[in-house]
Amino acid sequence: MSDPKKPFFVGYLPAPPDLRLFLIVSIVSFVVIFGATGLLIGSTQDDPGPGAGQGRQTVTGVVEMIGYPVIHVTQGTDRIPTGRTLILSSGGKNGAVGRAAPLEGQVVQVSGLLLERGELDMVQLRGGNNGLQAADGNGAVPRPKPLGRWKLAGEICDGKCYAGIMRPGRGLAHRACANLCVAGEIPPVFVSSQPVEGSDFLMLTGPDGGVMPQEGYDAMAEYISVEGEITRHGDLLVFAMDPTTIEVLP
Amino acid sequence: MSVKYVPVQWNRNKWIYDAVMLAGVALFLWIFVELAPGLLSHERPINAPIHNGRAFGACAFVMLTVILCIGPLARLDQRFLPLLYNRRHFGVMTVFVAITHASFIIDWYFNFSPTNKYVAVLSANTDFGQALGFPFEIFGVFALIVLMILSATSHDFWMKFLTPPVWKRLHYLIYPAYAAVVAHVALGVLLDAQNVTFLWIVLIGSLAVATLHLLAAFSETRGSDTRAEGTDWVRICDAHDITEGFAKIARLPGGDRVAVFRQDGLLSAISNACAHQNGPLGEGKVIDCLVTCPWHGFQYDVRNGRSPAPFTEKIPTYDIRLHGSSVMVNPVANPPGTPVDPVPVPQEVLA
Amino acid sequence: MSGAETILLLVRWWLIIGAMISVAFLFIGIDRIDEDARGAYIFRPLLVPAILLIWPLVLWRWYVLEAGREIWSKHYRPPRASHLVAAILMAAGIGTALFLGLSNRQTWPADIAPERLSAPGEANE
Repeated sequence: MSDPKKPFFVGYLPAPPDLRLFLIVSIVSFVVIFGATGLLIGSTQDDPGPGAGQGRQTVTGVVEMIGYPVIHVTQGTDRIPTGRTLILSSGGKNGAVGRAAPLEGQVVQVSGLLLERGELDMVQLRGGNNGLQAADGNGAVPRPKPLGRWKLAGEICDGKCYAGIMRPGRGLAHRACANLCVAGEIPPVFVSSQPVEGSDFLMLTGPDGGVMPQEGYDAMAEYISVEGEITRHGDLLVFAMDPTTIEVLP
Repeated sequence: MSVKYVPVQWNRNKWIYDAVMLAGVALFLWIFVELAPGLLSHERPINAPIHNGRAFGACAFVMLTVILCIGPLARLDQRFLPLLYNRRHFGVMTVFVAITHASFIIDWYFNFSPTNKYVAVLSANTDFGQALGFPFEIFGVFALIVLMILSATSHDFWMKFLTPPVWKRLHYLIYPAYAAVVAHVALGVLLDAQNVTFLWIVLIGSLAVATLHLLAAFSETRGSDTRAEGTDWVRICDAHDITEGFAKIARLPGGDRVAVFRQDGLLSAISNACAHQNGPLGEGKVIDCLVTCPWHGFQYDVRNGRSPAPFTEKIPTYDIRLHGSSVMVNPVANPPGTPVDPVPVPQEVLA
Repeated sequence: MSGAETILLLVRWWLIIGAMISVAFLFIGIDRIDEDARGAYIFRPLLVPAILLIWPLVLWRWYVLEAGREIWSKHYRPPRASHLVAAILMAAGIGTALFLGLSNRQTWPADIAPERLSAPGEANE
């Protein structure tokens, strides 16, 4: 039985006078709760990092395939000095493996959006020949320099989102997106806890120097430690990860 | 309280309810989407689709948390019943906010790939083996489907068509759905974000929901409703126990609840379950000679269990008699709308 | 066809069947089984999303009402006792989810330095 002394609310009738103060307090609390949670959550979002697009760049260089395509710049711009090594991708979640492989070892002209985060430089190629085409000139792939076997701590990301096409472009909420990118042949990168030979990130390949193996997808965006061979290609570090050594960190 | 169905039976309180609800949601989203980016001291801004997706996702979580607190609060304290009154609009609004969240995420994280974006939601991460890196999106998909079912079946037609008990069982899906939302958040953003503000809000909100529901459910099992025993006529209470204009509820041997009302010195017994949503009629009161449900104000003539014309709702009635001052009820319900002669309260009780 | 594509194909068919049933129900069925719906048309589009989603339940209720198999006493038995079970299960689910989330939070391994295990040529030559 309801308490006869308590006010009884009927939806289609005016609220009982005894209940009005309670209802006004409820309404104010409701609006305050929504405003306060919106402010608290909205103003405490993590920093998405400094990666960003730097506008269209057109350079000439030599293509090298290291699982994924890179070019060693032979004729740069103000933004991209000669001698730089750029990782290549296409638009969306598409890599440039198929486009670049036939031009391996050749001099090409590369044009597209430069994405930059720290020492990580990636170019999102324009469509068709405008993005990548054979060019005149001389150049050779620099001799790779092996740096030995290393154990690194850090996170596997897709090189394009991490470089700034998405902000944030890392972390577990972004894991599925990163998997889609790498499955689309966008080069993955390993973000190291501390710089390795001066670089915070390394382009990631499988142990044989090919594309990233399945274990890499399963470890994507987790903080892990992993061993592998590091090789310097131009000014780019490449980490041939040994997937059997992946350990998830606490 | 339908005569003919209309999309929404508006009244002043519903307008106020919706206005307050929309004001809260709009304030949340405006602060999160428009104001918060200016307060963040980031070198470069979060992408708008990600920021907006987070805003709508967090808003849907807060909305669902508040909605799920209303029910048990109203059971524990009747003053919260007005918050229950138009809760269905709150629920429908939540679905739209949740769909907006899902759209931002799907059109951003799962888009731009050779794989169809909906296929990608189900296939981009299939690492189900552990909590870290679990495809938490799947919990969100489940919760969103449930929310869509619940909001789509919120019109009164569905309560009548499915019957209130089937409708209620269907709407019990909100419990696994809310647990799934918490899992979606806990294995998604809580593992991802370094800042712990949202973590605390999720912790406090979801534990409040769990605690309130457990409290309300346990108070129901320890409820004051008497259990009437026996196979034939069963004793409900003493005639003294029933206040004029109110009822005494008892659980009959078969499990049904009866509400014995006293109106103008006469006692009548009706089903405790309202025909609309099975609201507890015995917790209502008599207004203008009609029993009024505390949930949505549906009304019945206590002598025959019928809503006043032009309304057509009917509830079962029970045969009633007095044995001394004991109120006795035949536990076999009469078909809905069967008139039963009320019995006068004994003189000594009235005195 | 992948598992995900199969699921989406089934979803598509579920919705297509639901669309056909909503046409039949809203043009024919509803007038036969609910007198309050007769002459009321504006609210009917509101019912379409639910029929798309839960059409097997719609078919079952339509059949029960058409066949006169409705048992009135069942309308007045709210599943109130189930709330305790539902509340306990939900609380357990919330607790499990929060535990898994909080216990698996990682911290960025800023203090772990890269370690050179062997110089070039040592391991593989």
